[in-house]
Amino acid sequence: MVKVSTPVRWLLRLVALGYVFLLVAWPVALIVQHTFANGFATLSETLSDPHVQHALLLTAQVAFWAVLINTVFGVTISLLLVRYRFPGKKVLSALIDVPLSVSPVVVGLSLLLVYNGRTGWFGPTLEAHGLQVIFNSPAMIMATCFVALPLVIREVVPVLTEIGDDQEQAARSLGANARQTLWRITLPSIKWAVIYGVVLSLARSVGEFGAVKIVSGNFTGQTQTATLMVEAQYQNFEHDQAYATSFILAAVSVICIVVVSLLRPKEQHS
Amino acid sequence: MSIEISGVNKLFGDFVALDNVNVTIPTGQLTALLGPSGGGKSTLLRIIAGLDSADSGTITIEGRDATRLPAQKRNVGFVFQHYAVFKHMTVAKNVAFGLEIRKRSKAEVAERVDELLKLVHLSQFAHRLPSQLSGGQRQRMALARALAVEPTVLLLDEPFGALDAKVRKELRDWLRRLHDEVHVTTVFVTHDQEEALEVADEIVVINEGRVEQIGSPEDLYDTPANDFVMSFLGEVTRLNGQLVRPHDVDISTRPILAGAMQGTVSRFLRVGFEVRLTVLTENGEEVTVVLTRNHAQALGIEEGATVWVTAVPGAISVPAMAATP
Repeated sequence: MVKVSTPVRWLLRLVALGYVFLLVAWPVALIVQHTFANGFATLSETLSDPHVQHALLLTAQVAFWAVLINTVFGVTISLLLVRYRFPGKKVLSALIDVPLSVSPVVVGLSLLLVYNGRTGWFGPTLEAHGLQVIFNSPAMIMATCFVALPLVIREVVPVLTEIGDDQEQAARSLGANARQTLWRITLPSIKWAVIYGVVLSLARSVGEFGAVKIVSGNFTGQTQTATLMVEAQYQNFEHDQAYATSFILAAVSVICIVVVSLLRPKEQHS
Repeated sequence: MSIEISGVNKLFGDFVALDNVNVTIPTGQLTALLGPSGGGKSTLLRIIAGLDSADSGTITIEGRDATRLPAQKRNVGFVFQHYAVFKHMTVAKNVAFGLEIRKRSKAEVAERVDELLKLVHLSQFAHRLPSQLSGGQRQRMALARALAVEPTVLLLDEPFGALDAKVRKELRDWLRRLHDEVHVTTVFVTHDQEEALEVADEIVVINEGRVEQIGSPEDLYDTPANDFVMSFLGEVTRLNGQLVRPHDVDISTRPILAGAMQGTVSRFLRVGFEVRLTVLTENGEEVTVVLTRNHAQALGIEEGATVWVTAVPGAISVPAMAATP
């Protein structure tokens, strides 16, 4: 490592800390401060509102399904990308990053074009079979899946690449079939990458706003998720409730990340 | 016969990895596949194991056609150069893996694991993770893991290649002793001719995807089939259009040797108890001669001296091809 003189080191620390403080720590701290300005009164009052309860529950449901789907597909696609060669592999790899670069609003609109019940490509057919996608939870789950798609894959792919396929080949030569190799060797080796991907996906899914707003219709008490609820509360000048709901959303994400960093074994990179 | 390889070809793109390879590996012996890097020996081993497939040709293991059999059904033990330990399992769990896959009873697995860890001297490390072991210990664990399933054949791919020289030598001796105890048909790949000569009962020399020669270490050393085998198994020098070993060159300061070439000593190098000379002969060859220090002193050879050189009677020699030095 290059030696850096003491004043420069302090300056670098100050810049980094100052940047993170002004951009992240302070604003989030203000949310906490506003939430607890009257002790727990605001929080309990907000939580007793049935619309807020419904919104939080809906967010939890949408996030749960989106994370589950993204985890299964994420691990499968990662295995496909790392372990197999096939035509179109580069295209697939590039497509996975699209959700990072495309605005969620565009995602919402494109889902609307394909699945809406009147003019969409699949929408009328699906509705004829009794499945309403748009303005309903399927579309909200799809939109959330879309925006969180790369998170599991981008965690798992580098780990899979790094461990190589030696261990899998050894397992095969010892008599394990494909399924046994996957469950006993591959999945345990990428366990922490998957968990990290799940946590990031969960945090992202809980916080999704733009795409969900378009495909959900934002009907209070029906398809309004917690983030949409925050916006509604804020626009109705119920600022305290908006802060309290925001606090709950932020707390969920922070707790996830803290729990995982505490659980994660220290000697992971030996 | 334990393993029959016949007519095996393998291409990687347009690179010929194996070119019509026919080898028979005898039961219960320790066979080395010896050759330079990229010569196809590892590919052949992986094809025997079922980790790669041949483009054409057949593999028969103990009389059973294994050509189309997947790796997990061949009952071979495979040891990898970089150990391929299961990082998330303890040493005991690693060794137990193959037995658990075969659904053996808990008591049987425990007993067998215990026995194997004793065999590879790792009993006290049973509950450690592989990351807490040294390279040599990891490779011994990998060997125990491969032996646990009582394989028909044990295949080792450059098993000591990633270890430092001292550990490599220890493990080499240990592998030989282990083989004398367990007698499983063993094939190991190496590019180190000393390792092959020291450990193997039989050596298969492979170069550029072809088998150059098959034989015991003595056969190969004493009667090499061609210049490649001769030069790969030990140092050679060119004298009178023949390849000979430098220690098989007789040297004299007077023209008393029959058929000797006249030349001058262009370089005199002492390495411990030996002396290495470079002699420029009249027909333009650079001959390397190795002799003992005492011998060199007795002859009174020094740089610039005029000498006569010839191969000693009964020396092994093969005609030199243009490409070899």
